[in-house]
Amino acid sequence: MSALSHHVVIGSGIAGAQAVATLRARDPDARVTMITLSALHCYKRYDLPRIFRGCRDWRELLAQPPSYYDDQRITVRRATKVANVDTSRGMIQLSHNEEIRFDTLLVASGCRGHLPEELADYKDLIHRFSTFQDAMTVARALPEGGRVIMLGGDMLGLDLARTLIDTGHRVTLIAGEHTFWPHPVTVEQRDRLMGVLHDMGIEVVDGETVGGGIAAIEAGPPGMPARRVVFRDGGDRYGDIVMSFFGLVPSVEFMLGAGLDIERGILVNPSLRTTDERIYAAGDVCQIWSDQERSYRFFYGWKNVRAMGDIAARNMTGAAEAFVPAQDEGLAITPEGQIHSPFWEYE
Amino acid sequence: MMSATDIQIAICGSAGDGTIAAGDILRSVMADIGYRVISFDVYPAEIRGFGKCIARLRITTQQAYSLKAKSDVLVSLNDSHAIAHAGEVRDLGAVIYDNRSIVQIAEGGHISGHLGAGQLPYPVPIRELSEKSTGANRSRNLVALGFLAGLFGLPVEAFQKGIAGKFKRKAAVAEASGAAFLAGYERGARTFKLDDIRFGPPAVTSVPGATVEMINGNAAVVRGCLEAGIDCYFGYPITPATSIMEKLAVEMPKCGARLLQTEDEIAAISATLGAGFAGARAATATSGPGLSLMAEMLGLGVMAEIPAVVFVSQRGGPATGMPTKTEQSDLNMAVWGGHGDAPRIVIAPTNVEGCYRCAGKAFEMAEAYQTPVIVLLDLYLSNRYETVVFPAQPPFEPDMNRAPEAQQLREGYRRFGPADDFISPRALPGDRDAMHVVTGLEHNELGRPNDQPEMHQAMSRKRHEKLRAALGHPDFTHHKHFGDEGRVDVGLLGWGSAFGECLEAMFKAQAEGIRCAAMKVVMLSPFPTEAVSAFMDDCQAVLAPESNYQGQFANLLQAQVARPVHKLARATGAPMKVEEILDEIRRLAGREMGPGSNLHVIGM
Repeated sequence: MSALSHHVVIGSGIAGAQAVATLRARDPDARVTMITLSALHCYKRYDLPRIFRGCRDWRELLAQPPSYYDDQRITVRRATKVANVDTSRGMIQLSHNEEIRFDTLLVASGCRGHLPEELADYKDLIHRFSTFQDAMTVARALPEGGRVIMLGGDMLGLDLARTLIDTGHRVTLIAGEHTFWPHPVTVEQRDRLMGVLHDMGIEVVDGETVGGGIAAIEAGPPGMPARRVVFRDGGDRYGDIVMSFFGLVPSVEFMLGAGLDIERGILVNPSLRTTDERIYAAGDVCQIWSDQERSYRFFYGWKNVRAMGDIAARNMTGAAEAFVPAQDEGLAITPEGQIHSPFWEYE
Repeated sequence: MMSATDIQIAICGSAGDGTIAAGDILRSVMADIGYRVISFDVYPAEIRGFGKCIARLRITTQQAYSLKAKSDVLVSLNDSHAIAHAGEVRDLGAVIYDNRSIVQIAEGGHISGHLGAGQLPYPVPIRELSEKSTGANRSRNLVALGFLAGLFGLPVEAFQKGIAGKFKRKAAVAEASGAAFLAGYERGARTFKLDDIRFGPPAVTSVPGATVEMINGNAAVVRGCLEAGIDCYFGYPITPATSIMEKLAVEMPKCGARLLQTEDEIAAISATLGAGFAGARAATATSGPGLSLMAEMLGLGVMAEIPAVVFVSQRGGPATGMPTKTEQSDLNMAVWGGHGDAPRIVIAPTNVEGCYRCAGKAFEMAEAYQTPVIVLLDLYLSNRYETVVFPAQPPFEPDMNRAPEAQQLREGYRRFGPADDFISPRALPGDRDAMHVVTGLEHNELGRPNDQPEMHQAMSRKRHEKLRAALGHPDFTHHKHFGDEGRVDVGLLGWGSAFGECLEAMFKAQAEGIRCAAMKVVMLSPFPTEAVSAFMDDCQAVLAPESNYQGQFANLLQAQVARPVHKLARATGAPMKVEEILDEIRRLAGREMGPGSNLHVIGM
């Protein structure tokens, strides 16, 4: 690429962080800019449960020290929201009305937690767990030995549940059909996995067996825990915190007018290129064409995501390589009777 | 145990953004709460719509001596100005800025693109909150101030009181400002904090009988004048001295004193000398250009031995120069300027409390030594706010005039008669049996014109020698030693407003294990040669930092002590930087440093 090239990466998750590193390595003279909603540089989101083990300083979670970005001449626009991308002019419009020109663009804006429509009315009573701020807010609100009511329970939630149990908290899981998302599990496997969760010390409530699910979430009355979850059959559970884990939704809103093909995520070919040859997508935000499955599909897990960031950056700088999944996706029960997800194999 | 608070906040905007007003409110409130504050505002010469304004406040629980090189918080009210200052925020410090714009911004035009990797961004919809809370965008400064207060958990009631006080004559403005502040406060209180900035509890200073006040240098001068019993003031406005006259105009009538705005500086000094001749405690205030105009009449004051006090607040020069930028470049003019052998007393306070003390003491000295006294301030000192503890009783003598004794009058009054200390008895016009002549001509002991060689020699000696006594003027800090005693690696000799930075640099150097001392020299003329020489005896190297190009103080030192001095002279229009002084200390102490010493050694 020419010395005047400007590679822009939207997103500072694992995919984005890997991408800027690869871009800098492969194109030393180019401008490299990362735009992120986060006020912090890339940190290990999978490490957020460490907060319950006493790690309250965000600096301990950073993937790289801040000086790394200066050293690498990578401009990081933190706390910055992209309003839209004008592909015809090669411009990114930021929400504060600044325009940034790009030669190549990687969209690695990741996902946010999905909250089912029927729970939307209670969102102010439900804690999230996507960011450092979310995690700290939960940690501050959760008393020692306090109870967390976990709605849904995907693999991110179950990972947190492990830590909460380890750190002396109590967890009630209101299980649903996506409790082991994104792992596909059979009914038989699900029953066995539920038993393992129970053995781990988690109170498991099958959402289907309590009158068809949740009727309401309320603030707890004085003298009681802060939250009350009411089931359709009239039963209830009290907890200090209610959190929802119903999988992830790609953050693609700012790309909707860009003219790219978007389904749930941004559609890319195996080289991670979108329908615009200057624009790539990587990580949880994109659906990759699978020749084998003859459809577009998401690939999760930090190893996959990091590999996507690398491949996209390589292709943005002249390579022509295809993404190859970097980790298996099978959910297993260990001989010790523990749940093992390859997504939990952190670096 | 809560650690000491030491937080510097910079608010940067354009003239008309309310930058200085926001700093003003913050300063007052923090002082009222009980913190110590040092603050200094930088503003353009234009009234509105052009240049950059910055209000910087250092809020502490322990004594501080200058602003810090790095701020902990930067509030941007105008990115085009604030971008240049983003680098002044320390790592883990906070940058607060507007994350909306109603105009298209070219790439790089928003401050979010200029933050250091270690700084923490706090985007706030400042304009939007102002418009929603007040219907207009004029209160953006209050929204930003509110956000800051909310973010750091500062007491909202204190700010509401401060805002009400600031706009007490403008009810509508007070209401809108309060609403804007609250809108910002609520947003700030909800914002997740990532920085490491924590305000500890204030350390309220309490001295029995004393009053603690947060005050700027010019206001301290006014207080000193009033407590010393000023009778008359004559002045012509000039930045940065004008506020002395403005404040005196309010206060002097309350105590029966008189103030007159004259047509120019020549009239001002002439009237001041006239009032001094008549026995009044009289003063004027000006800046460098005005001092030039006063030079001729100062010669008259010296020749006629008339008390007068001249406050000179220096600014960037020469000519119109930089009216709103600080500089210490009128030292030569103050000490040497003028025609003939015209010695005068020149004193220079080094902090705001010093402004108060020097102001009052200047009247004592003018009276005691029968001569004009110049008090050298500068813009940095005039406009700098500090928390000052004022004594219960004014530390100034109400009358130090040496009036003639009855026997002297009976023997025939000689206004310029001989005395062991060369200070003749001074009668005032109208005193019985004391009729005498005062003229600008060389004169004899009776004051009558006389140009004989012996007389001129004797009278010249008298005018010079009588000032020696000023070096022992009672209850006055002519100079002061700080830091390590005995042999030191580096000794700092400083004067005026730059001494605070010298002191901060000295403390940092000591913390690094460098043996370091500092001496502030308040009495610049006559020069305390003996004390300064003794200080230099103990110094391996002597560094003289000052805010002018020539190194005027270092040159004065050379003239007085004739020993090697390392000049660190800077003419940037901004206060000296602690880090720059510290770097030179390190070099002089033989610490490993990179290339690029800024020193110029004189007197080797």
